[in-house]
Amino acid sequence: MLPLYYLLRTNVQSSKMKVNLFLYGSLARFGGGRYVAQMSVDLGPDSGKMELLNQLGIPREERGYLFINSVLCEVPGMETGSNELLKDGDHVGIFSIDRLWPYQYRDGIRMSEGLKAALGERGAMHHSYK
Amino acid sequence: MARKILRINMSTLKAAYEDVPEKWARWAGRGLTSAITCDEVDPLCHPLGPNNKLVIAPGWVTGTPAAPSSGRTSFGGKSPLTGGIKESNAGGLSGQMIAKLGLGAIIIEGTPAKGKWYTLVVSKDGVKFEDAADLLGKGMYEVDEVLWKKYPKTAVIGIGQAGEMKLSNAGISVNDPENKPGRYAGRGGMGAVMGARGVKAMVIIDTGGPGVDIVDKELFKQGRRKLTESIQEHGLTKKAGGLNAFGTAVLVNILNEAGGLPTRNFSAGQFEGAAKISGEAMAELCEKRGGEGMMGHGCHPGCIIKCSNIIPDENGNAVASCVEYETTWALGANCGIDELDYIAKMTRECNDIGLDTIEAGNTVAIAMEGGLLKFGDAEGALATFDEIRKGTPLGRILGQGVEATAKAFGVSRVPVVKHQSMPAYEPRAVKGIGVTYATTPMGADHTAGYTIAPEIAGVSGKLDPLSNEGKAELSLTFQAATAFIDSTGYCLFIAFPILDIAKGWEGMAESVAGVTGQNITGADVVPIGKEVLKMERLFNERAGFTAEDDRPPEFMLNEALPPHNVKWTITNEQLDSVFAWVHDGHAA
Repeated sequence: MLPLYYLLRTNVQSSKMKVNLFLYGSLARFGGGRYVAQMSVDLGPDSGKMELLNQLGIPREERGYLFINSVLCEVPGMETGSNELLKDGDHVGIFSIDRLWPYQYRDGIRMSEGLKAALGERGAMHHSYK
Repeated sequence: MARKILRINMSTLKAAYEDVPEKWARWAGRGLTSAITCDEVDPLCHPLGPNNKLVIAPGWVTGTPAAPSSGRTSFGGKSPLTGGIKESNAGGLSGQMIAKLGLGAIIIEGTPAKGKWYTLVVSKDGVKFEDAADLLGKGMYEVDEVLWKKYPKTAVIGIGQAGEMKLSNAGISVNDPENKPGRYAGRGGMGAVMGARGVKAMVIIDTGGPGVDIVDKELFKQGRRKLTESIQEHGLTKKAGGLNAFGTAVLVNILNEAGGLPTRNFSAGQFEGAAKISGEAMAELCEKRGGEGMMGHGCHPGCIIKCSNIIPDENGNAVASCVEYETTWALGANCGIDELDYIAKMTRECNDIGLDTIEAGNTVAIAMEGGLLKFGDAEGALATFDEIRKGTPLGRILGQGVEATAKAFGVSRVPVVKHQSMPAYEPRAVKGIGVTYATTPMGADHTAGYTIAPEIAGVSGKLDPLSNEGKAELSLTFQAATAFIDSTGYCLFIAFPILDIAKGWEGMAESVAGVTGQNITGADVVPIGKEVLKMERLFNERAGFTAEDDRPPEFMLNEALPPHNVKWTITNEQLDSVFAWVHDGHAA
């Protein structure tokens, strides 16, 4: 029989998670890089995009495109109001707000439900929302 | 002084100036190369035979004082790669100098005696035909150096060994302000067309030229000011903006995060080594190594965007300029290679031998899939370029590009449309661009459909990014706007500010109207662009192209692309609707 403390430790570990984070442009400084930084981030259970951003301390006005597992969740300057949940092993990429993505190169890419809803209210995607 | 046409006959070794005929008078740049090609080149001719021509034309505003980022030169004719009409344009020194000589276009036709090669020295006094025997077999770094010793501070247009061998992936080089090759009219094998005319190089000397007439100086200045301001205000094109700070490769990480970066011969949409070959990584490399390395390099005088770069080796010595987004993708992610130093070395090889980096990288990827070498084998990939330089049997296959190489190695995943390979945006993930790849008269080409912000294009009401509806109309609008910009002589990257900032759009049109005296406003841009597209589509039809040539490669319909596991979903009916208007009121 396994000791009780071992079971408790296992449970605690399984509820924690690590996400693989890439920070691009000036945001790389939050991960110790110059223009690109890659880091593993520990998050508590039931964390989402907002908990990650709060933990990193990235100011809202510096955030641009944000991807979770290749799905676009945030665009520069627009708050979607949704908090996509994260799970262990997820990949998150965050760009600084000055990164522009010309329309023809993004037309048809996959977006989160939260971003779709926000764009439904705000109209076609712009380079930035002010 | 009105613009002239300079017609150079390589059979007789004579050159003559002609007035620009009325039918061509309103055109410049791509519009003019396509108009001349349509009128003078038999669409059924062999691209390397005696009946093809090489047409060279600066844009409407090229050579005018302080028109921002306007140094493009268009090279046109029938493409050996696609078998259709081709316009491929480059930066560098040539456009402004040709324009300042008062030339609307240079037409090179005929074929010299077998084995004879020439350097054409074009100046206000006419054309000198210099024997180019001493340049044969030389790469473009040496050609530029040799010709500048004799003709310093001139524009040098030339072909490397690939053009001499008339390979379908041969591009035309234009020297940059440091007299290095790297500004390429790369796509479509136009270097082979130049080689077929027996021209190894051209030297353009603008000293004493009449300059460019400006019909309405005030209107020109007004347009120039609006355009300049919009470039300086836009986040992508302003000083220290995305392009200036990180080059076009600023898009690598974005497309990779989105799952739209073609990887290992279009078998996936994400590359684990993308960050290492991105614009951000290039900027870090240049800062760390210093020396001659730099971001924010300008490819021609008067560019205010300066998106080029010079990638240094570990000692700070320049290796190559410029490693573009397409270049670092084609020679990097698409080959599974994540080492910038090797990508820079391969870029230098392409610049020297005279190869389009997109087609070259795609070709290496095909060779990797076919088993010639393994994905990720940077040393092996670099060695393939020496095969091309030497003209070995393998090198001649690789130099023919993707389709020929795929046949030689039994590969069926062949990412081409109209025989030209795709650039760095996976159309299964970035669905909008797939329509342009499939339908542009140029073959798969990302520059064929630069965008208008949907609001400006007037198609926003139909625009649902998750739906295929409206994409045909959008693609046509983009293709038409691009055809217009390609005719202005402005760099296509002005598209970003002018399509986001209304005064930039107006300014571009006003500057063209000011130079030419034509009554052109922003509202005329798309209709004029459509006229160019119509010429090109009709040429292709006469060359034998049908609706079946406006199709994606088969594997994209069958293979789901990771990470999103998406297939091509645009219908053939939608593709056919893009150019259905071409025959409105026109006998088929």
